[in-house]
Amino acid sequence: MNTMTRLVKNRIALAGLIIISLYVVIIVVSFFWLPFDPMEMNPELMLQKPSLSSGHIFGTDEFGRDILSRVMKGSAVSLMISILATLLGATFGILMGIWAGFLGGRWDNVIMRIADILFSFPSLLLAIFIMAILGENNANIIIAIGIVYIPQFARISRGAIIALKSNEFVRAARSNGAGSSYILFNHLLPNSIAPIIVQISLSLSVAILLESALSFLGLGIQPPEPSWGNMLSSARKVMMLAPWTAIYPGLAIVTLVLGFNLLGDGLRDILDPRLRNVR
Amino acid sequence: MLRFIVRRLLTLIPVLLGVSLIVFFLVRLIPGTALEMYMGTQVEATPEMMEELEKLFGEDKPVPVLYLEWMQDILKGDFGYSLRTGRPVLPDILSRLPLSLELTLFSLILALLIGIPLGIASSLRQNTFGDFLMRILGLLGLSLPQFWLAALMVMAFSGFNGWIPMGNYVGFLEAPLRNIKMLFFPSLAIGIGFAAVVMRYTRTSMLEVFQMDYIRTAKAKGLKRKSVIYTHALKNGILPVITVTGFNAGYLLSGAIVIEEVFALPGMGRLSLYAIYQRDYPIIQAVVMIVATIFVLVNLVTDIVYALADPRIRLSD
Amino acid sequence: MKKLSMVLIAIVLISAISVAGLFATGTEEVQGTEEKVLTIGVDQEAIGLDPHIVTAFSSHRRIDLMYNRLVRLDENLVVVPDLAESWEIPDNLTYIFHLREGVKFHNGRELVADDVKYSLERVMDPKTASPGKSYLALVESVEVVDQYTVKLTLSAPLASLLDSLTSNNLSIVPKEAVEEYGNLQKVAVGTGPFMLDEWVADNSMTLVKNPDYFIEGEPKVDKVIFRVIPEAASLLAGVKSGDLDIATISDGATIRQAKNTSGVVVKSKPGINVRTFGFNTTREPFTDERVRRALALAIDRDEIVMMAEFGMGTPTGPIPVAATDWALPLDELPVNEVNYEKAKALLAEAGYPDGFSFDIVCSATYEGGLAVAQVIQSELKNIGVTANLVVVEWGVYIDRWVKRDFDSMVEIRGGSGEPDRFLYRTLHSTGGVNNFMFADAKTDELLDLGRSQTVPAERKKTYNEVQKVLSEKAPVIFLYSPSESHVLSERVTGFKQVGNGSLYYVTQTDVQ
Repeated sequence: MNTMTRLVKNRIALAGLIIISLYVVIIVVSFFWLPFDPMEMNPELMLQKPSLSSGHIFGTDEFGRDILSRVMKGSAVSLMISILATLLGATFGILMGIWAGFLGGRWDNVIMRIADILFSFPSLLLAIFIMAILGENNANIIIAIGIVYIPQFARISRGAIIALKSNEFVRAARSNGAGSSYILFNHLLPNSIAPIIVQISLSLSVAILLESALSFLGLGIQPPEPSWGNMLSSARKVMMLAPWTAIYPGLAIVTLVLGFNLLGDGLRDILDPRLRNVR
Repeated sequence: MLRFIVRRLLTLIPVLLGVSLIVFFLVRLIPGTALEMYMGTQVEATPEMMEELEKLFGEDKPVPVLYLEWMQDILKGDFGYSLRTGRPVLPDILSRLPLSLELTLFSLILALLIGIPLGIASSLRQNTFGDFLMRILGLLGLSLPQFWLAALMVMAFSGFNGWIPMGNYVGFLEAPLRNIKMLFFPSLAIGIGFAAVVMRYTRTSMLEVFQMDYIRTAKAKGLKRKSVIYTHALKNGILPVITVTGFNAGYLLSGAIVIEEVFALPGMGRLSLYAIYQRDYPIIQAVVMIVATIFVLVNLVTDIVYALADPRIRLSD
Repeated sequence: MKKLSMVLIAIVLISAISVAGLFATGTEEVQGTEEKVLTIGVDQEAIGLDPHIVTAFSSHRRIDLMYNRLVRLDENLVVVPDLAESWEIPDNLTYIFHLREGVKFHNGRELVADDVKYSLERVMDPKTASPGKSYLALVESVEVVDQYTVKLTLSAPLASLLDSLTSNNLSIVPKEAVEEYGNLQKVAVGTGPFMLDEWVADNSMTLVKNPDYFIEGEPKVDKVIFRVIPEAASLLAGVKSGDLDIATISDGATIRQAKNTSGVVVKSKPGINVRTFGFNTTREPFTDERVRRALALAIDRDEIVMMAEFGMGTPTGPIPVAATDWALPLDELPVNEVNYEKAKALLAEAGYPDGFSFDIVCSATYEGGLAVAQVIQSELKNIGVTANLVVVEWGVYIDRWVKRDFDSMVEIRGGSGEPDRFLYRTLHSTGGVNNFMFADAKTDELLDLGRSQTVPAERKKTYNEVQKVLSEKAPVIFLYSPSESHVLSERVTGFKQVGNGSLYYVTQTDVQ
């Protein structure tokens, strides 16, 4: 069975895929149509309860803005940040890890110490630091989260490379006279990809949580641009009066993160050969 | 074994040195100074007054010089004085440590209490509907943003008098009941996500153990299922759970910044958050150094425990 | 398997029972028998207690209860005696204060005129780096006439001197305590109704009754405990659950919710602070007063109060409405309405027929006014002006403020019941906190005149004129005064609000 078929057959991964696809659809729709203008303030409609008749089915926030429209608009931002931050962290982390694992010796030591240093920094604190230095805008959130991810990817890819390096087929390739970069790209990388893919899907989910935690602390995406985190942040003040301002953006976060987690867990089942045949 | 520990301890030195360098220079890269925060926006400050204060704050020297002085002081165990309150940094941090330790401990206990039984149950019913449901629940627990969960708890329970006592943290030894009441919901908010992690590890590791030859042998020998679980599988399957617990304990100790913020708990997380907001350099530096040290030490201990428990793992780094 | 399930069930049951037991006990109060304790919830920890050095609002609220000034403000913001029993002003350069006799510091020594001289001179000493120094900038000398009489001589008339002397930064402290401790940041040796007992940083501060306090029968409670709880919602929950007796809450949404909560009492009145939307008058296009006026014409104060403060504020002009003797009603100011036509015409006249775009610096903290900035942004769309929000972290916000690096900024300004004290420093071209860099000859002339006048009716005329000029030139748009709100438990009696946040009246507060 190839990976794709197994993916579809794995109910957990499939559930994740469905949720993520649903969000992709919502995002595409949000580019063309939203129930209301997500930025439009309306003093008469402050903190309206969710109701079908008014059309505000998730209710309105403290500025009378439609929460459903803002959640929809925010999904694009959240997904984009999560994907780009993971991409950034994965690219640099994997390069570092491969470099360290493949070269070994002193380089390995230096690179892994750098990863250790980043690792022993509390991650949210590190992200807060970077945000405070760079200033609050979307690109910087991506950078901040990406940097937090680098050591994790570096460790995983280094581990995978080291495990494989001692494998027989590498030795065979070497004795056949293959060069280092040839071995690296044709043998090592494809074979170490499984743990990295799993890590990527988990990172996608954690990025959404990190972004919303940063926004919650006022260091993430800046109003009036809606993001799930900053919606929760401003809801904190009014949630006792209007619980729906906190409930719906939170649910949006939970579902998308769950989607990535389901996918990641399913992938782990599929890609981890030790578990594949467990009955 | 001893050589292994010594070697690992030696590698900690460059790591901690690196952390100290980064934190020291990074905090000073953040726009705004402690002095400016101190003055705020309501005071008519003259330049001479600012100079006077700068001297008072001890921030009137070049940064590299300040760094060297700080390193010297740290080695003597002196973490300096808060730029905001003027109090010595170390006692202030140590007074937060019990709360952070307790919060960590409580959430770990909750997580293990929830996670391990669910993980075992799930592994025993692999690929049944029950397993499927428990795994999805586990993943759901992992997907809940801590601060949202915390906010929902405050929303739901603060209506009941005394369910979530607010303010005036008291130590466990002082008033155990009030202490536990204060920390129950915060620990739960942190613990739920972590329980999901524990559950996943337990399940995977149990499944792996079931595959091992000796379990098969034990089964073949006609041992009852439950005795197999207890005497063999659980003992071996729990190992990776220890590792992940230790690893996360290090993380949790750094303080659950957002949880402490929502529940108004005076722990390390809130201390460091406010120190960043106020550019209180000595506090930020000390918190990061202490947390990093605890973190690497906990990791080291976990590695050692793991190595001791599993002779198959050769001690290498 | 059975055994495992049994163990599991047992664990679950035991935890469930113990948790339930925990909550069933309700609020167990660790209360003394006869002692009257008043617990006050505040959202910020005090940063030091030396009255001459502190800048933080939170510190001032503690100092209110432990020190005294020569004079203080009453609940109508009128200057009344504190340590000075009475005073005379023989000419507008001389102030003579007669001190109360028999007032004792917490260390037992009697307060005398020398202490007043020492305290004011400590503030004036540049080495102290006191934020109160500017209040005494025009004081030439402080003389001890006799043990209970002090004379202040000014270098130029300063009509607001008495009001300035109500500041906690000019509290009277004993010299020996400063000499003993270096400064008074961690101790409190005042003359006030309460004495510092215990201070656990970021958690609680306990004050005990001063048995020798100079007012007979005060304070009414034996102990005051301050608890630091940053979240407004948690503060309210604390009052409701009985953990707190009084909570200082500035967040409008929470106050609105408190009003619907049974078992708590909400006290609210217009505060002395002013929410402002100010321009950097040295940056294009805000160098042109027509542009500033146009923006002022597009701003709907009522809507801002409604959406950003949940109605917990009062629209105001250049002098905060709480200063009832001085503030002109809004409809007597030249720019007092929302008028898009007029605004657009002014913009066209200034060369911006199609509007323009600029930045508003704000921060997500309460003072940083993020909500206000969002409403302003939305309102300015009506006249084709695009405002970009630059939402920065609080530290960066202060940095921008200090460096005057902004097109416009939403702020909260500490106002005063005395127009000279508030407006001179804020808008005179030499003012210490004129971050708008507003330099206008007419305004300077009027403000200089105002501080030298002593006849109230004449001063009133001058400041009426000032308010009109400022409304028209609009270097800064004065939006509203946030309400000063306290949430009390029903057992609290006798608490009065001052309007500037002071907690003096805790001395008259009792608990049932």
